[in-house]
Amino acid sequence: MRTKVGVGVLGLTLLAAALFLVLSTRGQAAGPAQPIAFNHQVHADQYKIDCQYCHADARRSEYAGIPSVSRCMGCHKITAADRPEVQKLAGFFNKNEPIPWVRIFKVPEFVYFPHKAHVRANVKCQTCHGPIEKMAVVEARTGQNLANDLLNLVGLARSSTPLTMGWCVECHTTMNAKEKTKAPLECVTCHH
Amino acid sequence: MKIVGSSAGAVAAAGCGQAPERILPYVIPPDNLIPGVASWFSTVCRECPAGCGVIARNREGRVVKLEGNPDHPVNRGALCIRGQAALQGLYNPDRLRGPMRQDASGALKPVKWEEAEKLLVERLTGLVKQGKGKRIVVMSQLESGNLGRLIESWAQALGARRPIFYEPFNYEAIHHASRLVFGRDAIPHYALEEANVILSFGADFLESWLSPVEHARAFTRMHAFKHGKAGTFIHVEPRLSLTAANADEWVRNAPGTEELLALAILKVILNEGLQAPGVDVALLRNVAMPVDLEAAAGQSGVSVETIKHIARTFAKAKPGIAVGGGVAVTSTLAVETQRAIHLLNYAAGNVGRTVRFGPDSAFVKATPHAIVGLLTQLMAQGEIDVLLLIHANPLFALPPKWGFAEALKKVPLLVSFSNQPDETTEQAHLILPDLHSLESWGDFSPREGVLGLMQPTMAPVFDSRAVGDVLLSVGRQVLGSPAGKGPFRWETFAEYLKEQWRGIAREYAPSMPFDQFWEEALRRGGVWKDVATAPVQARSAPVFPIQGKPASVEGDPQGLTLLVYPSQRFYDGRGANKPWLQEAPDTMTQVTWDSWIEVPAEVAKKLGIRQGDLVKVTSPHGAIELPAYVSESLHPGAVAIPIGQGHTAYGRYAKDRGANPLTLLPGGASLSFLSVKVTLTKTGGRRPLAIAQATHDQDDREIAQHVGLGAARELELRGAVPEKASHPSMYPDLKYPEYRWGMAVDLDACTGCQACVIACKAENNVPVVGKEQVAYGRDMHWLRLERWQEGKPEHPENLFLPMFCQHCEIAPCEPVCPVFAAYHTEEGLNAQIYNRCVGTRYCNNNCPYKVRRFNWWDYSSPASSSYAFPDPLPLQLNPDVTVRQLGVMEKCTMCVQRIVAGKDAARDEKRPVRDGEVQTACQQTCPTQAIAFGNLKDPSSRVAKLSRSPRGYHVLEELGTRPAVTYLKKVTRDHGKG
Repeated sequence: MRTKVGVGVLGLTLLAAALFLVLSTRGQAAGPAQPIAFNHQVHADQYKIDCQYCHADARRSEYAGIPSVSRCMGCHKITAADRPEVQKLAGFFNKNEPIPWVRIFKVPEFVYFPHKAHVRANVKCQTCHGPIEKMAVVEARTGQNLANDLLNLVGLARSSTPLTMGWCVECHTTMNAKEKTKAPLECVTCHH
Repeated sequence: MKIVGSSAGAVAAAGCGQAPERILPYVIPPDNLIPGVASWFSTVCRECPAGCGVIARNREGRVVKLEGNPDHPVNRGALCIRGQAALQGLYNPDRLRGPMRQDASGALKPVKWEEAEKLLVERLTGLVKQGKGKRIVVMSQLESGNLGRLIESWAQALGARRPIFYEPFNYEAIHHASRLVFGRDAIPHYALEEANVILSFGADFLESWLSPVEHARAFTRMHAFKHGKAGTFIHVEPRLSLTAANADEWVRNAPGTEELLALAILKVILNEGLQAPGVDVALLRNVAMPVDLEAAAGQSGVSVETIKHIARTFAKAKPGIAVGGGVAVTSTLAVETQRAIHLLNYAAGNVGRTVRFGPDSAFVKATPHAIVGLLTQLMAQGEIDVLLLIHANPLFALPPKWGFAEALKKVPLLVSFSNQPDETTEQAHLILPDLHSLESWGDFSPREGVLGLMQPTMAPVFDSRAVGDVLLSVGRQVLGSPAGKGPFRWETFAEYLKEQWRGIAREYAPSMPFDQFWEEALRRGGVWKDVATAPVQARSAPVFPIQGKPASVEGDPQGLTLLVYPSQRFYDGRGANKPWLQEAPDTMTQVTWDSWIEVPAEVAKKLGIRQGDLVKVTSPHGAIELPAYVSESLHPGAVAIPIGQGHTAYGRYAKDRGANPLTLLPGGASLSFLSVKVTLTKTGGRRPLAIAQATHDQDDREIAQHVGLGAARELELRGAVPEKASHPSMYPDLKYPEYRWGMAVDLDACTGCQACVIACKAENNVPVVGKEQVAYGRDMHWLRLERWQEGKPEHPENLFLPMFCQHCEIAPCEPVCPVFAAYHTEEGLNAQIYNRCVGTRYCNNNCPYKVRRFNWWDYSSPASSSYAFPDPLPLQLNPDVTVRQLGVMEKCTMCVQRIVAGKDAARDEKRPVRDGEVQTACQQTCPTQAIAFGNLKDPSSRVAKLSRSPRGYHVLEELGTRPAVTYLKKVTRDHGKG
């Protein structure tokens, strides 16, 4: 009798866990809709434009930045000017309005993350941002997520770029051990 | 089951869309602006007429920090407390947001620029066409650059009266006296750093007199102990001011007896034959001989012995310097006093050496108060139709008895260009807000040979226009000039300025192409050159009438002489609208957010007044109520009230706070600040003062230490490093693989000005807590300026100690944090990780220095009632530093964000950080360079050298905390006689 109840409880618990895992990953959309359907596959993969051609400040500043509308227009004044998305772009430029992109990657306000130091250390953009050149719409599953952590625990890694502190620290530690880099492990370097 | 269910629900809810955050690019990016990298623009600080050069740190199009311009000859990289707080004028929540005009009911309502200008143009054109230009007057703050020139030519072109350059503190007595004695209407350059002895008659040169930052630096160069040498500073004043507290000998004289003492000293010099060779002894004898030494001693309360001692010390100085005429001691004998001081300098041979005519100070261009009195009369007689006010607030700074307020009512059109709602601007019929100085083109010359160039450091915050632009536009319209012609042919003031600078280019760099000159001047912050000293001779005039008695004061003969003094925080009242300045304690009394009347202890006892009792102060001309501050050191015949508070307008931080002592002064032709006696009456009420430091008595804790001059010399000769007690520790010694950051503070150089306190606040997003919380002891200053006193209470030895986190090697705060938010870094910093902190407050409990500050209230949420950053103050926040939330502990970090930035820059160049590359905010702004920061592992760094000084010690060393901050003992001289 007790064993049956025990099995029943266990079964329900497992079912609940499975349900939870399914539900929790459902809520995350595969990349939000952007005001202009900019496609990294076309620009970064097909045409092999360097990340830093558009995101030029990555090597100069803590922020990698979003390219200015004029940078886009540099090519698109002529290139593919008839496409509807490019026409949207031209619309923004002609009205002197910035494009209100939806932000994907952000660390918390109490964290100082300098792109410059990482570019200087030759960390590939894809290490933290994922395979952007393969993404038609940029998406990321970042942040602390119980489902992610549980799946990671059983070896079914979901997000390879959670941008959580533990993940950053792990990379710093392994790089320092393997490549003899001097990635800081001082708390205050990023939290000040 | 329930738990799993609810968390599943929670996670699913989180998965549903919140409002997405947007990230906006530029449309067309500005040249040379990289988000995340600061740009620096050179300009000039306009918080007082000293004209220090400033560089403004601009992040993403907004200025977040001001620093002194290292190249500017006046301040050489330092910046005073008012300069640091200038940002709160730029981003003041009560700043006028656009042009306004008075409607029929007298209320100020917004109006469009076109309409506002049209109103002014119409009125002016009417007057000019009828030949009634003389009914137009411009009253501006001192503008000694091209804006001043434009104002003058504008007035001339319209046939208006000569403009008035109104400064409440104009030090006119000095140049009146120079004219009398040397035939040159000028304020000389006082080269304090070259004197061996400074003798000051009430000149508060470390606070507000003439050019305080320059003087503080100069003072330290001559006074601070270095290689066995140390200058001497004797200060004569009835009150123990901040400047007096830095003196080696403070001589407490009866108020108004400065001239008497100066002449008495001159007499002693002549009697003992100590005058310099080649001076006109007959002239000097004519002046000094009628003085009776005994009588002078009796009147002033300074003994004959002391007078003789001062005379000998001063005359034998080779060279010395005598200065005088601080606002507090500017009496009806101000000119006579300056005359006597000039003659003292002449007699000692200082003229041409430490007192140099050339380069002359720009203060001479400030209009004498007599002219302001004339204007008042003209207005009262209905002879002025239009008064244009440019950054002047006479309704606050002029005593009501001058009648300026009543006279102003007769002026049909009062136009103010101020961008703050001060008392006078509130009365204006038309307000055309000027850009803030940090948003403006312009220039300012504090003295001959120095021309600071101003440029906009960011785009305007609000809808303001440069007053120069408005004057040009209005002038063009009034005169009906065709475009591009006439006296106002420039479209903007910027154009006008640039064209005038062609003339300057020809003078300063005749062979350089103008574009190159202009570009270099913009980068450098101006141009400067040496100016030759003009030789002057004392005039053989007929016998100067000698007063031989103290300055006259009116009022009840049984009353107390009122001393009103400029506060280093508020100057003439202009700083009161800045919360940083309100919260910065007055160093001597440590009072915040209020003003007070300093009452001598003897008087307080007699009247039964305790500290905090509300006292009614009555003069023949007015009465105010203030809480009492009982002072042991103030002259028993005087009371003292700081100037700057008691505003009836001027924004939320300034309004209805304290009381304005200038309302007690008489009217008249000149502004004598020392001219009344007052009587005190207890009201029975109380208003406790919010005092930041509970006691000035160290007991035997030896927090601020000092060493005698002789002993210091001996230590220096021996090169002895004091034995540091090696307290045993249960922790292993720390190893520093790369850098070890540390600091050194020289107490002999610190003058107690509090510039560091506000620089730190500006750099680190430290919130302002308000009067009530300061009274609780919950102020958030990461760095506090402690004043400790020793010796007799009526004549104490003062020690100023900047206290901040000592970054102890064996920090008591680190082991007690339950979440490891406080820990010790590999480079020697005690770090505080805000996002780990849970607010147990055990760390501050354990800290023996009590330097940790806790966010008791929510200072960072806009919805909170304690929100410390009402719009547009958040623009000032430093993006490199976290804004802390409720319940989090914070403290000095040795500006770790600057260390991180410095190391980043060094890594770019694949080299270590060099000494001096990284400067903490407090170190950077200090006019006397009292603070040093750097790598203790580098034996050649400045901080390492200072840490090895024989005068070095650690505060509370016996506790075994092993701080990374070394203090150098203050070197005291004997208060000897003869």
